[in-house]
Amino acid sequence: MTRLIRSELLKIRTVWSTWVLAGVVVLTTSGFGLLIAYAPRRRALRDLLVPSGSPRWFDGVFRPMGIAQTLALVVGVLIVTGEYRHKTVTPTLLAEPRRGRVTAAKLVVAATAGLTLGVITAVSGLGLGYLLVATGHGTAGIMLTEYRLVLPGDLGAAVLFALYGVGLGALLKSQVPALVSGLTFTIVVEPIVTGVLPTVGEYMPGQAAMALLGSAARSGGFGGGGSLQLLPWWGGVLVLLAYGVVLSVAGSLTTLRSDVT
Amino acid sequence: MTAPLEVRGLTKRFGHVLAVDDLSFTVEPGRVTGFLGPNGAGKTTTLRMLLGLVTPTQGSALVNGVPYRSLPDPTATVGAVLEASGVHPARTARNHLRAVATVSGIGMARIDEVLGLVGLADAADRAAGGFSLGMRQRLELARALLGDPVILILDEPANGLDPQGIAWLRDFLRHFASEGKVVLVSSHLLAEASQTVDDVVILSGGRLAAQGTLESLLEQGSKKEVLVRTPDRARLLEVLAAAGMPATAEGDLVAVADATAEAVGPVMAAERIVVHEMTSSAESLEDLFFTLTEGQEFQSPTGPPLAGPPPPEGQP
Ligand SMILES: Nc1ncnc2c1ncn2[C@@H]1O[C@H](COP(=O)(O)OP(=O)(O)O)[C@@H](O)[C@H]1O
Ligand SMILES: [Mg+2]
Repeated sequence: MTRLIRSELLKIRTVWSTWVLAGVVVLTTSGFGLLIAYAPRRRALRDLLVPSGSPRWFDGVFRPMGIAQTLALVVGVLIVTGEYRHKTVTPTLLAEPRRGRVTAAKLVVAATAGLTLGVITAVSGLGLGYLLVATGHGTAGIMLTEYRLVLPGDLGAAVLFALYGVGLGALLKSQVPALVSGLTFTIVVEPIVTGVLPTVGEYMPGQAAMALLGSAARSGGFGGGGSLQLLPWWGGVLVLLAYGVVLSVAGSLTTLRSDVT
Repeated sequence: MTAPLEVRGLTKRFGHVLAVDDLSFTVEPGRVTGFLGPNGAGKTTTLRMLLGLVTPTQGSALVNGVPYRSLPDPTATVGAVLEASGVHPARTARNHLRAVATVSGIGMARIDEVLGLVGLADAADRAAGGFSLGMRQRLELARALLGDPVILILDEPANGLDPQGIAWLRDFLRHFASEGKVVLVSSHLLAEASQTVDDVVILSGGRLAAQGTLESLLEQGSKKEVLVRTPDRARLLEVLAAAGMPATAEGDLVAVADATAEAVGPVMAAERIVVHEMTSSAESLEDLFFTLTEGQEFQSPTGPPLAGPPPPEGQP
């Protein structure tokens, strides 16, 4: 199993998409870091971003972990579907014909990648924020002072989103449908469902991830409005874990019998 | 003794398509076995079932008596290259092999060894996206050889290879088999395969059409023919007629029907006729293949139709 995991790690390190995603994380989070530092002084920009002019708007904007989670989902999907897309699944399964083990190794590697993306996000986004504040170029918002409290939850959510991506990939196998359905669900379907049926929304991946942030999220400081209905943090972990594991198992079960042609 | 490769009552249905139909055959060590049949005959599907990639609808496909998935060390047992077996375009040749070597606990030195063997040593650190079809075939062959397997399964390996590559592969397979190992190689081009294989398993419409040694298959040839290229056509026709061998001129060749090179050769030698080229049975081989496979199309997507040039002199 260790060898299989090492091989899967090698595979994601040796394709450019992994590094592009890491680059996207660094660029977007530093971009937001700069916004935080400068936007409050630029009235026009602030009004453009948040017309309502909420005094705490930047806390909502600056949630770089949302990016980490979304990209962790993408990495998870790519780890599985890339094999079908480039037909490397044949050599992979020739070397290790026990398909459940291959999926298990991919889950481990996806978790590692999710965590790495989360750490990169924290370092690049928050690091830049601190740097700007320290050099007197910005104001320290709630984000910078309290972020340490929610960091574990956000990192955990990135890990779990990567597992969820592997599950989606294992089930759908085809890259574009898996990416589109995963992203559409998180970005479009989930906010609608959450808005209309908050009790159902709690169990959706994004809201479950929010639950991981614990009291900080409930207080409304992160991700907007204080009216969030969320599961307890451990409930969020379980729900996200279930997405990853249930989808992966379902995917593996169908893969176990499906034909690789 | 269990055969290294054994297919028994193997059947595969894809929806309405019956791709493989109650197929049984075994493959012996120490010989190159050609797995032949026109496009769509079910060759790739059969090989994929042998390798645990496609689940049979019925029957069994066994390696050393067990399903591929139960092999303790698959990479050291079977090396396989399948059609549509892929290489990630962004990955270098070396990293493509490292992924498999890592899983199978194979040392990095072996990677350089197999890359050298297939003539890719200089391209080891180039991304495979820039490789030609032939180079990707070689890389996949290198991947199959990583574990130093005793069984080699190659699906249409000649595709994309240049003539030198094909000649090299032929020698390689012959050498591999001569060490007592097992070679199963599929092809839809009989003429090409006939120069490499000892045994044949011929498939048509998913069913076994013929099995045996290439020689025995040739014996069955319905029409034996010897073709002679000579500047002395007119005289050769006379001489052969006198010897009771009816012959006809076909272009710049003389075709002797129902004859063997062994019979025609001495007659020409006795009459001191200059011969530039003599081939035998090439036509009958193609005809036989055609008959066995019930006249299905032999168009290859990349190459010319099967009725290509006759094999070189001295080869049946
Ligand atoms: N995944 C698949 N789904 C449906 N039909 C398939 C699939 N794979 C192969 N076939 C069909 O099975 C038959 C045998 O195909 P194949 O094994 O690829 O033949 P060959 O390798 O001899 O050219 C063909 O009719 C082909 O269209
Ligand atoms: Mg084929």
